[in-house]
Amino acid sequence: MWSLAWKNVRRGRGRSLLTGAAVAAVVALMMIMYGFSGAVVNGMFQNMTRSTGHLILRVKNADKIREFERGLIQDAPALQERLARALPGADVEAMLEVPALLAGEKRSRGVLLYGLEPGGRLMKEFVTKKLTAGGPPQDDGDWSAALGRALARALKVKVGDGVYAFVPNTSGIGAAAFTVSGLVALPESTMEARTAVITLAAAQELAAPNAASRIVIFLPGLVSPTQQGRLEQARSKLAPLVPAGFELLTWRQAEPAMAAILDMMTPLLLIYAVIFFVLAGLLVVNTVYLGLVERIREFGVIIALGADRWRIMRLVIIESLLLVLSGAAVGAALGGLAVWRMSHGFSLPGPLARQYAEFGLPVVMYASITPAQVALVFAFALLTALASALWPAWLAGRLEPVEAMRHVA
Amino acid sequence: MNALIEARNLHKVYKTDGVETPALRGANLTVKAGEFTAIAGPSGSGKSTLLHLLGGLDRPTEGEVWLDGERLDDKNAVERARLRLWKVGFVFQAYNLIPVLTALENAAFVLELRGRPSAERRERALAALAELELDGYAERRPNQLSGGQQQRVAVARALAAEPAVIFADEPTANLDSKTGLALIEYMKRLNREKGVTFVFSTHDPRLLEHVRRVVHLEDGRIAGEEVRG
Ligand SMILES: Nc1ncnc2c1ncn2[C@@H]1O[C@H](COP(=O)(O)OP(=O)(O)O)[C@@H](O)[C@H]1O
Ligand SMILES: [Mg+2]
Repeated sequence: MWSLAWKNVRRGRGRSLLTGAAVAAVVALMMIMYGFSGAVVNGMFQNMTRSTGHLILRVKNADKIREFERGLIQDAPALQERLARALPGADVEAMLEVPALLAGEKRSRGVLLYGLEPGGRLMKEFVTKKLTAGGPPQDDGDWSAALGRALARALKVKVGDGVYAFVPNTSGIGAAAFTVSGLVALPESTMEARTAVITLAAAQELAAPNAASRIVIFLPGLVSPTQQGRLEQARSKLAPLVPAGFELLTWRQAEPAMAAILDMMTPLLLIYAVIFFVLAGLLVVNTVYLGLVERIREFGVIIALGADRWRIMRLVIIESLLLVLSGAAVGAALGGLAVWRMSHGFSLPGPLARQYAEFGLPVVMYASITPAQVALVFAFALLTALASALWPAWLAGRLEPVEAMRHVA
Repeated sequence: MNALIEARNLHKVYKTDGVETPALRGANLTVKAGEFTAIAGPSGSGKSTLLHLLGGLDRPTEGEVWLDGERLDDKNAVERARLRLWKVGFVFQAYNLIPVLTALENAAFVLELRGRPSAERRERALAALAELELDGYAERRPNQLSGGQQQRVAVARALAAEPAVIFADEPTANLDSKTGLALIEYMKRLNREKGVTFVFSTHDPRLLEHVRRVVHLEDGRIAGEEVRG
């Protein structure tokens, strides 16, 4: 049966080839789209979580609390230590956000002082990678601060100049002098005009000894939003360590808008898959149907020899399966090759890359496709083969042998 | 002696576009196992219709058909297909073989439909081809064979399946008379030597000369029967 079906597929060579090629193209295209969307989604995820972390511990509803002191995690180092011990391999960092008045020689501005751990991931992300002049902030000996470029411009200061931070009514020393260690370029200009980064120790001494606004946790090997299981596992491990009045947020909860954008990719690609496979399916229907019409007599003989309706339908369906799956195999090979090459890093053309960088898309992206996505593409191909064969198979199954053999093509 | 085939009062009326064509009008026929029977009659006399009904390809409008102890006329399409598969062999006028398959694969086709293992299929099909002196042609496609050879492959296909009866509906109609006669000789030899039951139809009187039993069909009725020495 299979060999007869295969010979029949090969008989309508031109048509089969065209249809097989269409299926191959759709499968390859879908794989590339999945690979590409994997690159985009993972890239955006990694870009975003570099600054937000994967899990965030903070005072419950900290974003709604106006009072500086009430939003703080007191005794942060001890908690940080406990979290780090529960999750070996993870990076656990504290940060302290302090609203302050920053003054140069002649001007002053209201700013947010970010106290970050020197050499930590957040410091690297917010400062080291974004420096346009100078270096990161220090706290050995003199305290220094890295300023947003726009802020430095507003204060009329440059690297090496002094600035003064005032934080009244806190449990810290309340005021301190900093040297401008460097300038950073931030994606948003409003943010650049009100951001200064200092060390965590300096921020704590200035405003809140031993405290942090949040503890940020980076899990090892978490590179894609699809690794939800790993995230939940870490979260449930940490849950018992979270003191009352605090909350442990995932990146999804912390960045719901971003999470929604990333989640949109799945249904979007499904819609594409449906459209493409329906188009390919129409070609398959056409091919299988014409193959049937041209061979009505032959089907008549096969039925006369004793093939019943179900076997005839099976023959038609098998032809469709062979046609589609051989096309799909070729498409998967081509698509797989393309995704594999793209998985080693690719960039969008220059202007596009720059434009999308503003939305958090990395310049160099790495295509990635999961086995489940490959399986999904094949499931679509399989479904296309079956659905396309259904109507021709039904027609073939209703053939009467005598009439079919009298049929004049 | 119980009959292999028994047709009683067969009527068949074709309806196409509201027009009724009576093809059989009360035909009765009995065929015993091991017989070699010719259905003779002019074109349009109802030979094909009769063979189709006897072989379970179609259902009579009225009347009964019994084949090897089973009643055919009230069976549905799937049941009749099953019966054809296991008990009936067919050779048709033309367009008989599956063009993408070799002579060997064609000869083995019914056995494949029956789900026999491939070694057995091959062995039986090769033996059947040998019976029809097609030894050297097993790997040829139908379009690489002459008309006479193709019909012999069709006979081999039926033979390989060892059915209770082989119906051949004007198997020589597309052949020249010498080749046609030769085909009938093959069938007669198989009947003589292996006891294969044949029922074949023809409108060519020359083919009937050495046939033992000839049933004459006219206007959908059995007009007479000759049984010779
Ligand atoms: N499928 C059909 N539809 C309508 N009329 C048919 C059909 N098959 C046969 N007939 C008619 O039935 C009569 C007998 O046909 P058939 O059995 O083919 O005769 P034969 O085989 O002896 O030539 C003819 O008049 C023919 O036109
Ligand atoms: Mg006829």
